[in-house]
Amino acid sequence: MNLKELYQEIILEHGKNPRNLRKTEGFNKDAKGNNPLCGDNVHVYLKLNGQKIVEDASFEGSGCAISMASASIMTDLIKGKNEHEAKDIVEDFLGMIKENPELKSEHLNEDEKTKLMCLSGVKQYPMRVKCATLSWHTMVSAFDENNEEVKTEN
Amino acid sequence: MNIDQIKKEFPIFDEKIQNNDLVYLDSANSSQKPKVVVDRINEFYTKQFSNVGRSVHYLAVAATNLYENTRTSVQKYINAKDKNEIVFTKGATEALNLVANTLGQSYLHEGDEVLITELEHHSNYVPWHFLRKSKNIKINFAEINEEGEITLEEIEKKITPKTKLISITHLSNVTGAILPVKEITQLAHSKGIIVVVDGCQGAPHLKLDMQDLDCDFYAISCHKMYGPTGLGVLYGKKKWLEELPPYQGGGGMINEVKKDMISYGELPNKYEAGTMATAQVIAFDQSIKFLESIGIENVMKHEADLVEYGQELLQKNNSVKLIGNPKNKGGVLSFTIEGVHPHDIATILDEDGVAIRAGHHCCQILHDKLNIPASARASVGIYNTKEDLDQLNQSINNCKKIFNL
Repeated sequence: MNLKELYQEIILEHGKNPRNLRKTEGFNKDAKGNNPLCGDNVHVYLKLNGQKIVEDASFEGSGCAISMASASIMTDLIKGKNEHEAKDIVEDFLGMIKENPELKSEHLNEDEKTKLMCLSGVKQYPMRVKCATLSWHTMVSAFDENNEEVKTEN
Repeated sequence: MNIDQIKKEFPIFDEKIQNNDLVYLDSANSSQKPKVVVDRINEFYTKQFSNVGRSVHYLAVAATNLYENTRTSVQKYINAKDKNEIVFTKGATEALNLVANTLGQSYLHEGDEVLITELEHHSNYVPWHFLRKSKNIKINFAEINEEGEITLEEIEKKITPKTKLISITHLSNVTGAILPVKEITQLAHSKGIIVVVDGCQGAPHLKLDMQDLDCDFYAISCHKMYGPTGLGVLYGKKKWLEELPPYQGGGGMINEVKKDMISYGELPNKYEAGTMATAQVIAFDQSIKFLESIGIENVMKHEADLVEYGQELLQKNNSVKLIGNPKNKGGVLSFTIEGVHPHDIATILDEDGVAIRAGHHCCQILHDKLNIPASARASVGIYNTKEDLDQLNQSINNCKKIFNL
């Protein structure tokens, strides 16, 4: 059943108890994202060290189980990656959410891939894809120091 | 009144939606269309089409008559004094923008105050915000009480010597509160304040009598009234529509055009520039006839029964929290479920064929006030039954189960 694929236990768990739902102290990159259609919003914070590696990632905001779980899993697995690796993962994730059957990024280990694949049920719900991807687009915007708020609608 | 019979007049209910019977609880967003309305659009385009108000050939004259017949039907349906007080627009949004824009050009000045309410839809706030930016007017907000109502007393409290205009919804699309528009208008007029009413939710569900309400403007959304999309009605008192400047310029709204001068046409042409939504206007006559055939008193009784039933059901359902509890309530049941975001509720309900809306319903001011980012909303129309609300409740239970509540 589709709903079971969408609302897997891990999604519900992350949605209910999101990891990294806070503001990173001493963050040096951040960006805001907003879905004007529903009022969901997210603020992503990154702290990069001298070697440009993500030392900490966090987010603030509110949204549905899908968006909270997605931001929670994303901020968890992006820690320890550099910008290039992080962007490669973002591209891989967005490709998977839209069409690709699996994740291919060499910067993801099997455990991380399994976690991310839990969000693949969103594919069958086009209206909900934005819920899953908003925090990811927002993270890219934080890396790029793009000062404009990320919006799901143009 | 036989609801099963009425429901049969709506072809969409013959369809299977993702293998389910449709439980349509999103009429506050837009209503479904009876066959007579759909057929009328088809008939007009296939057998009678011509542009209106311009050419002198047979089809043009006939189409013009049909178009004007709807104007007369609307006038009678809302008991306006004069046919020329009915202006067709592309929607209620355009109707409200027309009012704000033209009053902004000629009536509202820097420092004047406009009083709206925390219940307003963005379409009855943003057009006034434009004037706040361009004309430096001030916008004040009447606040809701615990029940999600706007009282006459609250309006009176928020009126200042600078208040020139009050713009209010007739029926809240979130709390369902029906505002005492007639009393507010009496109060406003006694102080020389004009009244604009956003009738999007009022028009499909309440008895309308413009001469009794006495408001200066009333905006109607036809697609919420079992009519076509792309069409709205602005009722305006004749003295205002005559006095105010035009809104859009173009063909059809002029009297004489010279290189150094232009004079404008008479009402209602003055506000209907360009080719209008002709087929929609002509088909909207069928929507009015449909509503008249049922009788608005019967519509109101049926929807009041449904809301009472739905409210009781949801109140008994643990972890469901209804938004607002107004004494005078229209067919809207907005709610939240502790621990489940409204979007997740809507997706899960949709799996059972239950169509509701989730989000802020274009009322961010109200949701901020309630301190919630979004809500779920079930809203009823003439075709809904108690079984639909039972299904709503059952699907809510399913949703709670998925979220382990």
